[in-house]
Amino acid sequence: MSKISVKGLRKSFGSNEVLKGLDVEITEGEVVCVIGPSGSGKSTFLRCLNKLDELSAGTVIVDGFNLSDKTVDLNEVRQHIGMVFQHFNLFPHMTVLQNIMLAPTELKRESKADARATALKLLDRVGLADKATARPAQLSGGQKQRVAIARSLAVNPDIMLFDEATSALDPEMVGEVLQVIRDLAAEGMTMVVVTHEMGFAREVADRVIFMADGVIVEEGTPAQLFGNPQQERTQDFLSKVL
Amino acid sequence: MFRAGKLSVAVMALLALGGGFLGVSAAAASQPLAQPQAAVTGETYVIGTDTTFAPFEYRKDGELTGIDMDLIRGIAKSQGFTVEIKSLGFDAALQALQSNQVDGVIAGMSITDERELIFDFSDPYFDSGVQMAVAEDNTEITGYSDLAGETVVAKRGSEGETFANSIKDEYDFTVKALADSATMYDDVKAGNSVAVFDDYPVLAYGINQNNGLKSVTEKEQGSSYGFAVNKGQNPELLAAFNTGLADLKDNGEYQAILDTYLEQPAPAAASGFFGLLSDSMPALMKGLGLTLLATGLSILIALVLGVLFGFFTVSESRVLRGIASVYVSIFRGTPLLVQAFFFYFGLPQLTGQSIDVLTAGVLTLSLNAGAYMTEIVRGGIQSVDPGQTEAGRSLGLGYVTTMRRVVLPQAVKIMTPSFINQFVMTLKDTSLLAVIGFAELTYQGQQIYAANFRTGETLLIVAALYFIVINLLTMLSNKLDKRFNK
Ligand SMILES: Nc1ncnc2c1ncn2[C@@H]1O[C@H](COP(=O)(O)OP(=O)(O)OP(=O)(O)O)[C@@H](O)[C@H]1O
Ligand SMILES: [Mg+2]
Repeated sequence: MSKISVKGLRKSFGSNEVLKGLDVEITEGEVVCVIGPSGSGKSTFLRCLNKLDELSAGTVIVDGFNLSDKTVDLNEVRQHIGMVFQHFNLFPHMTVLQNIMLAPTELKRESKADARATALKLLDRVGLADKATARPAQLSGGQKQRVAIARSLAVNPDIMLFDEATSALDPEMVGEVLQVIRDLAAEGMTMVVVTHEMGFAREVADRVIFMADGVIVEEGTPAQLFGNPQQERTQDFLSKVL
Repeated sequence: MFRAGKLSVAVMALLALGGGFLGVSAAAASQPLAQPQAAVTGETYVIGTDTTFAPFEYRKDGELTGIDMDLIRGIAKSQGFTVEIKSLGFDAALQALQSNQVDGVIAGMSITDERELIFDFSDPYFDSGVQMAVAEDNTEITGYSDLAGETVVAKRGSEGETFANSIKDEYDFTVKALADSATMYDDVKAGNSVAVFDDYPVLAYGINQNNGLKSVTEKEQGSSYGFAVNKGQNPELLAAFNTGLADLKDNGEYQAILDTYLEQPAPAAASGFFGLLSDSMPALMKGLGLTLLATGLSILIALVLGVLFGFFTVSESRVLRGIASVYVSIFRGTPLLVQAFFFYFGLPQLTGQSIDVLTAGVLTLSLNAGAYMTEIVRGGIQSVDPGQTEAGRSLGLGYVTTMRRVVLPQAVKIMTPSFINQFVMTLKDTSLLAVIGFAELTYQGQQIYAANFRTGETLLIVAALYFIVINLLTMLSNKLDKRFNK
């Protein structure tokens, strides 16, 4: 069953067309990695999936919600989709625990006590049980990103979107974050992961999409795409990054 | 004296047109003057007057005193009625009389044709006129003919200015206009002008108070002052005033009163700086209270306006953004003083609805500070990383919740120093409201040196009070900021 269905997606900023008609189907439990050169529209594509950016044309259906429908309750939709940013975007004026508890309590999904228990459980899961009362400023980059993931998981999403979650990290911290994503993949979470970590994409992805200049140039299993790319554009890109 | 805001003249003229016939018929209908003594005995009348117009009315040790005050009290005593005096300010007293909130006005008011349309005047009780004075040590100027090529000073819009202008070509001098007597006298003492033309009684009183000037010419005959009641109202009070005035003139009390203020050099024991300090403190404290009240109210309203329009500036609606930007550019793009004049004098003329000076002052300051607050709020919100909003929204939180829980707490922290700054600015800006007669700290200071001519010392005290209060408040605000925004 299709968890994410994108048809003819176009997106322009002013006269600059950034996405030029994308068609993507993602099934439940599938892990899709999106790779491509800078400025090719990867982030924009991801942001259209939870409508942080307006769609210019085409349809996006996520978890049964049609995002092109103006009447759809975006706040409801977004609780089904977790998003993790390159720069973490933790709330600096709150403790780690408060960061994680904010959405569940504000959305009245859980009582304070329940939200707290859930948050502690999530922190334990990302290996940061001892950082509950710390402020984001006191954490390392890798720890911040793991808190950000825990925060997204707190509303119990069906889909997770990662936008270069490890790009802002020092190399020695990349591993700990990738491990968390790897664990989520193993648990069957549907995920779209924009990444520059080709090794990771090859390891965890069920499918890899290569984007360039706002179009999907080529897609396939990691073995196909990395082992035997068909398009010249793909070969060119891979020769530079591998 | 010819004071009277252009506004009140215009309003009075309008009322006179509209209500003239009514007034006249009411006067005709009222019974012929009864025996005044009988009619007023035991009655209490409310009398309006100016705040400070030395030597006719001014405060000494907190008590209203002056020629007008001694006269009305003396007449009341001789005629067996009681007066309750309200020190309202000149324009306000006239307005109160028209709306029958006071029974009579005595405020060093010239009897003019224009005013006689709407008020009934008593017999003149004082003949004013213009006189020229020079610095005490000036021996060169002894008459108008010595003024050739010199600059003289006169009060803007006064009889003195009219008179000086009428002879300036003949004697070849220049006339400069200033706003009040104390400033004019300082101007002469400082040598910026060689002579001043002022109302004779005001000048005589100033000289009597050792203002450093001396008069060198005889007074020019000018207008006469009268006591006024509303047209057709309180005829028995008017009659009692006339009878009482005649009595006081007969028994010599009238002359004694004039001498007290104009002749006898009874210099107020020139107290030292600390004497001035302790004498002026009660009035200055009252002024400071009003300064703080106006600041507090204005800042609160400005905060609400700033938050409202600040949100407009970051909203997605083009209309709201437009409204906010028009508001901000109007109030940042015009001087505060012009705004104050507009709200106090202009707006009532446009709407026909009079506005009290506190309301006008707070309106001015809060709209003005609100514009700056809007910019502070906009700057604060925009300085929060957009990623914060995106993180909040992507968790499924609504716009309002994201603002309230994520963006604003961070923005407030950024904005607080600017808020404190605006608070101080607004406090200082209240001093501009002195020009519309709002009795705040600066105004009280002006009133004090208008009566004692000790401009420098009084302004030093006023400045010191501002300095102390502003620094205390700044320290307090910074403490609170540290405490809550760590
Ligand atoms: N809010 C915006 N307004 C205008 N142009 C934008 C906006 N966001 C992105 N763009 C433009 O859209 C194009 C695609 O940007 P996008 O961030 O999606 O690329 P990307 O593939 O994620 O690149 P990177 O690997 O550098 O993150 C770029 O040319 C960018 O300048
Ligand atoms: Mg990107």
